[in-house]
Amino acid sequence: MIDDRIDFSSLDPTEDRERFDDIVHSITEAAAGQLAARRARADVFAQLTSWWRPLLAAAVITGIVSIGALARSQTATTPAETEIGLAEAIGVPEQIADWVWSEEAPSAAELLVVLEEEG
Amino acid sequence: MSDALLVERARRGDAAAFESLVRQHYRAAYSVALAVLGNGMDAEDACQDAFIKALERLDEVRKPERFVAWLMQIVRNRARNLRNYRRVRNAKPLETVAAAGPSNPGADAERSELRGRLETALGDLSEIQREVVLLHDLHGWKHGEIAGALDISNGMSRQHLYNARKLLRERLGVSTLEEYSND
Repeated sequence: MIDDRIDFSSLDPTEDRERFDDIVHSITEAAAGQLAARRARADVFAQLTSWWRPLLAAAVITGIVSIGALARSQTATTPAETEIGLAEAIGVPEQIADWVWSEEAPSAAELLVVLEEEG
Repeated sequence: MSDALLVERARRGDAAAFESLVRQHYRAAYSVALAVLGNGMDAEDACQDAFIKALERLDEVRKPERFVAWLMQIVRNRARNLRNYRRVRNAKPLETVAAAGPSNPGADAERSELRGRLETALGDLSEIQREVVLLHDLHGWKHGEIAGALDISNGMSRQHLYNARKLLRERLGVSTLEEYSND
């Protein structure tokens, strides 16, 4: 087959190696800022990736320990202790809490005595 | 190293990978830019602009192995923008000046003259004919590669090349082509 290609070598920008190197250099120089920004982003991502697994493992362990402790504390207390503890926590006198949980109605005199003691 | 790997590295800011992409594809990019703009100086500007734009948009490359076709689209768009800008501003008329500084005035003058004649002759072709003939005869691509990059069929690539060469031979004359190809 006859190669009838047209000789465009005078238009070839890579023909003059020195000049082509200058052209490439000017492009890479103009791209330097963009490349540095990409490297910085890639570094942050790599850091996050390297920390992600240990952080996840620590969170899972903390979660398991917390759930276990919570379960143990709930089984160790009786309902009555829980109720009184709650009344104390919100500032209700112990005697009044007892009446509430026992569904026993106090007399007016008993109520007065308890309130006076607290006051 | 494959384009896909170079693109992946350039995405992470690897300057050497980006430089390799520029070196590998500059001539193809230049061919497309020259086909649109008609002169070497403007084609160089468009290529620099296109490579920087491509780097900015590198994360948009869905098929890194088809990077070159994606790059050619950017080059073509940047070259057309530049051409429109030049037309509107009319600040810098198209010129056929030598791109390099003169190191050998005699040879450079001859080369510059040839460059001018080639650019003038190329100006008589359609844009797609210029792209095909430059990518084939200047850059050395085969029809399959040209078809892939320009999104045309192999047959159309062959047809454009045939027509482009025929027109160029008519414009330049056989003697001119022979004279220069014997350099």
